[in-house]
This record gives sequence, structure tokens and C-alpha cells, in this order.
Amino acid sequence: MINKVTDVKPMSSSHARPSGNFIKAVAAVLWKDLRAEFRSRELFSALLVFSLLIILIFNFALELDIKTRQSVNAGVLWATFAFAGTLGLNRSMAIEKDRGCLDGLLLAPVDRSAIYFGKVLSNLAFMLIVEIIVLPIYSVLYNVNLFLPGLLLVILLGSIGYVGVGTLLAAMSVQTRTRDILLPILLFPVVIPVLLAAVKASGGILAGADLTEILLPINLLIAYDIIFIAVAFMVFDSVVEE
Amino acid sequence: MQSKPVTLRILDIASIIVLGVSAYIALFVAPTELVMGDVQRVFYFHIGTAWTALLGFILAAGFSVIYLITKNLLWDRLQVAAIEVSLVFFLITIVLGSIWARPAWNTWWTWDPRLTTAAITELIYIAYFMLRQGIDDPDRRARFGAVYALIGGLSAPITFFAIRLFRTIHPVVISGSNPEAEGAFSMTPDMRTAFFFALFAFTVIFIDLFWNRIRLGELQDKVEQLKLKVTM
Amino acid sequence: MFFQETTPDTSGYMIAGYTIAFVVMGLYVLSIYLRNRNLSQDLTMLEELDETAAETEMRSADQRKKNLMKPGDKKQANL
Repeated sequence: MINKVTDVKPMSSSHARPSGNFIKAVAAVLWKDLRAEFRSRELFSALLVFSLLIILIFNFALELDIKTRQSVNAGVLWATFAFAGTLGLNRSMAIEKDRGCLDGLLLAPVDRSAIYFGKVLSNLAFMLIVEIIVLPIYSVLYNVNLFLPGLLLVILLGSIGYVGVGTLLAAMSVQTRTRDILLPILLFPVVIPVLLAAVKASGGILAGADLTEILLPINLLIAYDIIFIAVAFMVFDSVVEE
Repeated sequence: MQSKPVTLRILDIASIIVLGVSAYIALFVAPTELVMGDVQRVFYFHIGTAWTALLGFILAAGFSVIYLITKNLLWDRLQVAAIEVSLVFFLITIVLGSIWARPAWNTWWTWDPRLTTAAITELIYIAYFMLRQGIDDPDRRARFGAVYALIGGLSAPITFFAIRLFRTIHPVVISGSNPEAEGAFSMTPDMRTAFFFALFAFTVIFIDLFWNRIRLGELQDKVEQLKLKVTM
Repeated sequence: MFFQETTPDTSGYMIAGYTIAFVVMGLYVLSIYLRNRNLSQDLTMLEELDETAAETEMRSADQRKKNLMKPGDKKQANL
């Protein structure tokens, strides 16, 4: 079943400004993914269950008393997001390739980077939805309030960085022979600054640390997000051309 | 296959000589360090390989950009050579760093910014080769390689600074960023000689291996092309 | 004057370090050499194959030319 990209108007027939078309293209890609997912919900349920299982594993892997456990909450959360994230990225790109959607998108007269942004937004949406559900469950399981605005901001920024680089790398890995296995190998070493800063900031927020301690890693997250999304935006063309 | 250019033959011999001389200076001319003893001598090779490998990785990122702009496969060949040689050198760096750490700080591994970033960087470039291995089309292989070498080359220094800034809660044996600060040894003139000569020697060796690897790449490309032609 | 700690004997580590450095570099040089040799052999073999293919191509081209001429001659003979 190929999802039709019907919302993209050819440039010649619409006299909209180029930027308007770009945004339309991005929205079209995003909407296509969200619509497809709402219908089947296969990706989403897989991500959710996988995340919960990871939390379960960590519970047994790190048999901690309550006090020590507080120091690892941030780490466990981000490890969970990182692992579940690769799952989501892999599936999202594999669907594109297998259903031929990618080829269809490439034929459309849109800037390739619009496809990149569309995919980033849809991958981000999935990741955030999963995270939003994991948070309350984790809060309940470990009796810790995770609904702090600072923490939510860190989760957002970290997810953006993760998905920004991950989408680019997933677009590559899905075109190789080794496919799924390759994505974590490519992604994890490169996304370490995100994990580092996110865990540091999250841990600080949960422990009620000084603002100055938390601002530094948050700034790094913002810098990373900007740098890598800019680079990915520039090179995405080379990654999907035939 | 064209025979080796004379310059390269000379460079081969020169590399062996400087390697030998550097080892000699490091082992016999430089004095024994007071606090940690002879193991400190690995420091010269450690720095020699580290500095050239890092330059190699930066060079590779540069080749990425040039390739993506020009689409000329020559730059891809250069990049592969640079990364491969740097990978080997950096491996030596990491192992020597670990060997130095053991008697100096009684641990095989320290999670200090440099060693940790080195391990991550090594993994990035191993991943680079795994990525290339999974692609048959030379053009796509070059494009993907270029993109990943660029991304990797950008993230490694960021990782270093991130670890330096944030990992203060760990028992860092390094004050500031200088691993030499712990077991801080100030260098005597002889040590300085060994140090700079090692840097020089490994630069020469790097260039030699780099050039040899490029020629290997040319041969590889020729064989691939001919294979396609003959099997058509 | 002051009691000085004796310098520890860490020469074992030093030897290990240098050995590893030389071995790794040696292995790499060997790897380049072996790959070079294998590829050169592949190249010679492929070049031979290419030549034989080219020769066969030439011979069959000649054959085709001869075949084209024969029917024409017969016609002329019949006339």
C-alpha cells in the first residue's frame, strides 16, 4: 500500500512563495506518516512496549536501594529513550523504502531537505509521544515526579538532537545490506554529546541543582541541535539521490 | 600496476629510519622519569600517534566536504586512506594510553575526557568502515562515507568538550585537561628532544603509509572497474 | 638529605607498550602489502580475461564479415 503524497502541488501551478511550498511539503511528509501510523499503530505500540521492557530490565540489572536509584533515574530514562529511539528510526525509514514511498517523494518537485524535515518531525513526534507515556509510568513505578517543566524541556531538546542525526543516519543505513543493525552502530558514538548533556541536565533538575549547573548542558544541547540539523539539512540530498 | 615512484621508495626507507631513531631516543636518550619510571617512555609514541591520527581525522572531514562538492572519487580514495591509517595509529594511542595508566594510576582505564573521547572516536571510524562495507555502488559508498566522516568528525571534538565540562563528579585523576598533570612530569631538554622527534617521526610515517594506502586504493578501483567490464 | 622514594621499575610496561606499537604498525604494513599483492594478481588475471574477450570479439567480428559476404557471392554465381 503506497501512501499517496497528494498534498504537494507542483510548483508551476501554484504561485505560492517558494517558502510556502517548502512548508507545505514538510507538512505533507509529516502528515503522511502520522496518518499512516494512526491507522495501524504498529510502530507506536512496538515502541511503547519496548520502552517498558527496557525499564523492566534496568530494574533487574541495577538492583538498587531507593537512595542510589535516585541518582540513576536520569540515566535509565535516557538509555531507554536511546534504545527505543533506534527502533523507531529504523522502522520509520524501512517503511519508506519498502513501500516505495521514498521514491515517490523523491519524484515530487520539492526540495529534498523538505523530506528531511518532514521525516525529522514525524520521527520526533513518535519519540515524544512514547516519552510522554513512559514518563508517568516511570514516575509511578519509582515514585519520582518527572513532570518538571525543566525536565520536559531537556527531553524535548535531547530528542530533537537524537532524531535530527538519527533520521539522516537511518536514511543511509536503510540503503545498505546490513540495514537495521547498522543504525545503532552509526548513531550511538555520534550522539553521545546529546546523551551526556541530557543526562547531566536531567539529573541536575531531578536533584534540584543550581540553575547554572543545568544551563550549561542545556546550552550544549541547543548548540548540538542547531549544528547537526544544519549539517544534516545540507547533506541530506547526497543521501537520498539515486 | 605502475611501479612505486622513487620518492615513495625513499620515503619508505626514511620512515623506517626515523621510526628506529625515534625509538632509540625515546628508550635510551631520554632520562627515566622519576615518579613513574620507564613506562613514561611510551608517552612519546603515544603522543606521536595521537597527533597524527587526529590530523588524519580532521583531514578526512575536509575530504568529505570536497568530495560532496566536487563528486570526484579521488577525494573518496584520499579519505579512506586517511581514515584507515588514522584508525591504526589511534588504536596504538589508546593502547599505549591504557598501558601508561596502569602503573601510573593503578587502573587499566580511566574515564577521563581524552581516553574516553579517543575510544568513542575509534568506534566512529570503525562504524565508518562498516557502513562502507554494506554498500556495493562506489558512488553511493563515497557519498555515505563522506557524510558520516563529516558527522563523526564534528561530533568527536564536541564529545571531548562535553565530557570535560560535565564529568566532574567522577574521580578524575586529571586536573584540568592535561593527563601529564597527574604524575606531572616537567620535561627535561632530553625529553623534549624525544617528544618533538617522535612527533616528527610519526608525521613522516603517517605520510608514507597514507601515500601507500592511496596507491592501494587506486589499484582497488582499477580491479573493480575491470571486474565489471569483464563480467558484463 | 631527604629520603627519596626509589623510582618504580615499570620497564615491563614500557616493553609491552613498544612491542604493541611495533606489532600493530607491522601488521598494518603487512596488510597493505598482502592486499596489494592479491589485487595485482587479480589485475593480471582480469587483464588476461579482458584480452581474450577482446580477441574473441575480434574473431567473431571477422566471422560475421565473412558470413555477410558468402550469400552475396552465391547470388552472383547463380546469375
